[in-house]
Amino acid sequence: MRARSVLAGAAVGWMAARWWLAGRRRDELEAACADLRLEQADLVNSARMATLGSMVAGIAHELDTPLGALHSDHDTLRRALERLQDILSDERVDESELDEVRRIVRAVDGVHESSELAIDRMVGLVESLRTFGRPDGSERDVVDLHRALDDTLALLDHRLGEAVEVERDYGDLPEVECFPAQLNQVFMNLLLNASQAIEGAGTIRIRTRSRGERVRVEVSDDGHGIREAHLERIFEPGFTTRGARMGMGLGLLIARQVVDRHGGEIEVESEVGEGSSFAVELPTRLPREGTEWRH
Amino acid sequence: MSERDRESQGAGGTVYLVDDEEMVVTSLESYLQLETRHRVRTFVSPERALEAVEEDEPDVMVADFMMPGMDGIELLKAVRGRRPAASRILLTGYADKENAIRAINEADIYQYVEKPWENERLELIIHNAVERARLIRDLDARMEQLEEAHGELADLRRRLVETFL
Ligand SMILES: Nc1ncnc2c1ncn2[C@@H]1O[C@H](COP(=O)(O)OP(=O)(O)OP(=O)(O)O)[C@@H](O)[C@H]1O
Ligand SMILES: [Mg+2]
Repeated sequence: MRARSVLAGAAVGWMAARWWLAGRRRDELEAACADLRLEQADLVNSARMATLGSMVAGIAHELDTPLGALHSDHDTLRRALERLQDILSDERVDESELDEVRRIVRAVDGVHESSELAIDRMVGLVESLRTFGRPDGSERDVVDLHRALDDTLALLDHRLGEAVEVERDYGDLPEVECFPAQLNQVFMNLLLNASQAIEGAGTIRIRTRSRGERVRVEVSDDGHGIREAHLERIFEPGFTTRGARMGMGLGLLIARQVVDRHGGEIEVESEVGEGSSFAVELPTRLPREGTEWRH
Repeated sequence: MSERDRESQGAGGTVYLVDDEEMVVTSLESYLQLETRHRVRTFVSPERALEAVEEDEPDVMVADFMMPGMDGIELLKAVRGRRPAASRILLTGYADKENAIRAINEADIYQYVEKPWENERLELIIHNAVERARLIRDLDARMEQLEEAHGELADLRRRLVETFL
């Protein structure tokens, strides 16, 4: 009797312990899951920052030339001013000084011309940045996708170099309601991937078409292509063939997420040795739930 | 550069500036116009600069590295073939050491200058580059004279030998 109750007590105790353990394991698992989700969000965020980083590097690089010209112009102007002040210090201009004054005027004229070019370039750059919208990308707008593409290309220019040619085959597109900053990141990622797939010289083709209420943007390259076994994995988080040091394997994941939120689709076709083509199809109006989205 | 330095520079040299960015060549040209007596010609196309070199001999060519069609190294290499005495200066973008070294070896350039350039430093480099081109041409002319004299001497010796032996 006693033995039996002891046994029963032990059984109950054992079951309780198991129950308790199972609960603990579940809690642990849930915590681990939450951690993983957080980690993924972190990764996605850092990939966004990396795209932003390429953009910033692009802008900085594009600013170098006009800034360099302005820097030189400013120096020339200061010297011209000094010379003029020198000539005028005795309150009159001699005949012998007239030639010098003419020379100064010619130089200042040149400075005026080059600084105008430089300022125009910088104004254009800042304008193209505007279409990238607010840095957090939560600003909705109705935009011309061709401009968005051109602006993204302008910032990538230095990365593409001389060997990569960009062909634009732009169709008639209606304006598209979207989160422009986010879409530009999609274009940026597709264009970056395309340029990275090209070894040596190559061509990137951008083709745009509209079909009813939808628009389609294709980014194709004649780079190394994607193996069939990889085709279904390229949108997975962390999938990269560029080596962990070069790629995070998040570019396409982000692209797909953004396109999803716009109620669109992203497709890929590729052949090894021939090249790849990524097509983004978007509705011209944002779906209702998409408009709520922030990150 | 002081007034006296400038005067000792005499009439200045012929300087070609080549960069596909018009603002860069115009900027540099204005500075050189104000501060030096060089005769400056600007080009936004490397091909046009090369054409001009066929007809005219610059003392110095300053060429940008990154240009569509023909990069600065190719251009300077071609100039070296046509006008070996001309001093070649390469302007390079962001610290592009690797290309600069390639340029020094391939196009045998005189100097490379990193952008953004400092006007006064570039002016000094151009000044020295003009001097160098002139010295080389001067040397070439003297060598020719020397060779001529040497030829005459050899001739004289031959005739002497002929007369006395
Ligand atoms: N245009 C392309 N041509 C060939 N392969 C491509 C192309 N685009 C993507 N890929 C393949 O898909 C993989 C995943 O691309 P994804 O943009 O997601 O990451 P990544 O480019 O490797 O890294 P990052 O996070 O820096 O973008 C790439 O590593 C590459 O193997
Ligand atoms: Mg990528």
